[in-house]
Parts: sequence; C-alpha cells; structure tokens
Amino acid sequence: MLYTLLQLYAVRPLGAFVKRFAYLLALCWLAACAPPFDPDERLSFDAPTRAQIAGVPLIQQEDFFCGPTSIAMVMQWAGTDITQEEVAALAFSPGAGGTYLADMIGSSRRLGQLAVEIDNFEQLLTEVTAGHPVIVFQNLGFSVVPVWHYGVVTGYDFARDEVYLNSGQQDQMVMPFAVFERTWRRGDYWGLVVLPPDQLPASVDEAEVLSAAAALERVAQYEAAETLYETGAANWPENWLWQFGLGNARYAQGDLRGARQALRRARSIDPTIPEVRANLAFVESEIAG
Amino acid sequence: MGFLNLSKKGIAIALSAQMVLATQAVTMAQAEMLGTDAAISKYTALANRNALMDEMQRDEVRAEIEALGVDPAEAEARLAALSDAEIATMLTQMENDSAGADIVGTLFTIFVILLVTDLLCFTRFFNFTRCVR
Repeated sequence: MLYTLLQLYAVRPLGAFVKRFAYLLALCWLAACAPPFDPDERLSFDAPTRAQIAGVPLIQQEDFFCGPTSIAMVMQWAGTDITQEEVAALAFSPGAGGTYLADMIGSSRRLGQLAVEIDNFEQLLTEVTAGHPVIVFQNLGFSVVPVWHYGVVTGYDFARDEVYLNSGQQDQMVMPFAVFERTWRRGDYWGLVVLPPDQLPASVDEAEVLSAAAALERVAQYEAAETLYETGAANWPENWLWQFGLGNARYAQGDLRGARQALRRARSIDPTIPEVRANLAFVESEIAG
Repeated sequence: MGFLNLSKKGIAIALSAQMVLATQAVTMAQAEMLGTDAAISKYTALANRNALMDEMQRDEVRAEIEALGVDPAEAEARLAALSDAEIATMLTQMENDSAGADIVGTLFTIFVILLVTDLLCFTRFFNFTRCVR
C-alpha cells in the first residue's frame, strides 16, 4: 500500500493532496527509529549550524524529469537560461523512464558545466556551506522496491534537524537529517556538483577537477574547458597540467598564439615533460607554417 | 622567353625549398596534438606513486617497518608492484577513512605502514590487497 502510493507519487501526476499525503506517509515511515544527526561525530570540519543557498529556483518537474529538472535548477541558479526540456533532450532515457547517473554527468558537461561527483556527507555539507547546491540521488522507496529520485540540496539546519531540498515541486522539501540520510544512503550517497567553469568545487581534489576539465574537451566544450583550465591554473599554479590543458583547449578553438602562450607557461613550470614540449613544437610549427 | 625561363627556375627553387621544409616539418612534428586526458591519467598516477615512494623513504617509516620485521627493500618492491588503479583506489580509501581530512603527516604514515603490512599478510586493511605468502 505504502509503496504503491510512493510509486504513484513519484511517477504520475496526481492531485496535490494525494501527493502530500503519500509524502507524509513516506516521511513517517522513514523517520521511525532514526538516530539524530551528530555533526561533531560525522564531520571532520566545523560546519556552521545552518546554511542556506539563495536563488535556487523551484521548478515543477514534468513527469519523470526529476534528473533534468535538478540540472536545470542548478544551472538557472548559476545564471544560465535553460529549461528542463532542453536538459532532458541530452539526459533523459525514455525507455527507462528516468535519467541515468552517467547521463546526469554527461549532459551537464555537454552544457558546458563543471560536473564532479561526491559520495559522502562531509563533501555534501562542505559544498553547501561553500554556497554550492548539490544534486543528490535518492531512493524514496525501499531498497527492494526502489523509487529513484533526484533532488537539489540547498541548505540545512542542525538545530532544527532539517535538510532543505528543491525536489521538483513548487514547495521546498524539508526532511529530517535521518530521513534524508536513509533515502540518500539507498542511492549510495551519490551526489553531483554542477558549477559554471569559472568556479571550483570545495570538496573535490585537484585530480578530479582536472579530469572534469578534460571531459569538457572530450565533448567539444572547448570554451568551457578553457575557462576551467584558467580557473584551475589560478588555484593550483604549480601544476603544469592546467596550462597544458589550456594550451590544448585553445588550440582546439584555433587560437594558436594563446595555445603557445599556455604551453610555454607549462614548460616553464616543468621543462622536463615530453608531452608539453611535443605540443609546443607542434603549435610553433603551425604558427611558422 | 628569358622572362619565362627565369620564372621556371624561380618556381623550381621555390618548390624544392618547400619540399625540404616540408620533409623537415614532417620529421620533427607529430601527427596531432597530444591529448590532455592521457597526460592527466599518466601524470596523476605518477604523482600518487611518487607520494607513496617518498613516504617509504622517510626514516621513521623505515624504522617502523623494520620494527615489524620487514625488510624495507622488500616493502618497496611490493609497493612498486601495485598497479596505478590499485594505488588510486587505495588513496581514495585513505581519504574516505580519514573523513575527508587531507592525508598528510602522521595519518599518511600510518596508512602507508598499514599498506605494507597488508601486502605482507599481517593485516587486511585495504580492500584490494592481495596477500601473498
């Protein structure tokens, strides 16, 4: 009974009352015997008691479009003019009636965004306190009868024991920490930080941001890749790989002189790397020829 | 007529010069730009490996390993035998187990010692380690 309602709730356009009722039931069940969230025990950093990210729009999702809607909300928050349908065209799998995790990452990148995965509470709260909304993958049902859902975490309040989500409805969704944790744990704590390429995530290491930048090159988002390499180079000036990527991204856009400048910087950071010297020679020969 | 001859000669010179240049250019340059992706995976793997090996060189780590009755040279050989993927997996596990804190200093030392003891079948801390006796 419960799961039928939940499933209906998740996949069919129902009346607002039935939706709310189903959600309330789910909350009651999920909240049963839940230990309180202890930030001191769970986090290695001193997170503020509450955090709230302003300006994330609430978009009413269309059927099955929780994934694309989540990406659209985060991108609109960052100032991009985009609709859930436009994201869905790149992400949604009609046959599956949903959006795969890989397509969440891929579509964000094809839209020129920096997209990196996270997988724990520490990272989630680090991002939220840094002012970055995080897309989370939840199972609102049981593990045997999953009801998969994507939502956007926009804030939390330890004192009130609340996590705030923009979850594809007109109202903000509020969950106790324990309920949120259960639904998120069933989604293997999968989260996605989607940011414009001139910003860096707060909880992800350099190598992963580098890979995300290279992935932008792979999907031919050279301008976004260039911006991200510049951002990374400013933040990690001692690593030649940022300048190397910058050179490659500029070359791909036909900016030979810009490419040469970046590759020369890469060479001055570390003169021993054969890849840098090979690409620099290549660009210089094209400029000469 | 004279003009035509000169022109032919000029063309011949220009063509041969171009051919020399073209041959040179071909021999000195690769067919295309080397990709960022490949460089990232190669050099981040290298950096991970170097970080582990550097840690192994520190006196207190060597002392600790010797105290466990392990020959440091053997420990290094075991570390060197790990694949890039295994090292990356292990560093991720280190990061997760240290609750997101930067793995440096004492903590890193402990992890590296655990790794060595894992590889020698004293402990079973990391998921992937193959214990060979």
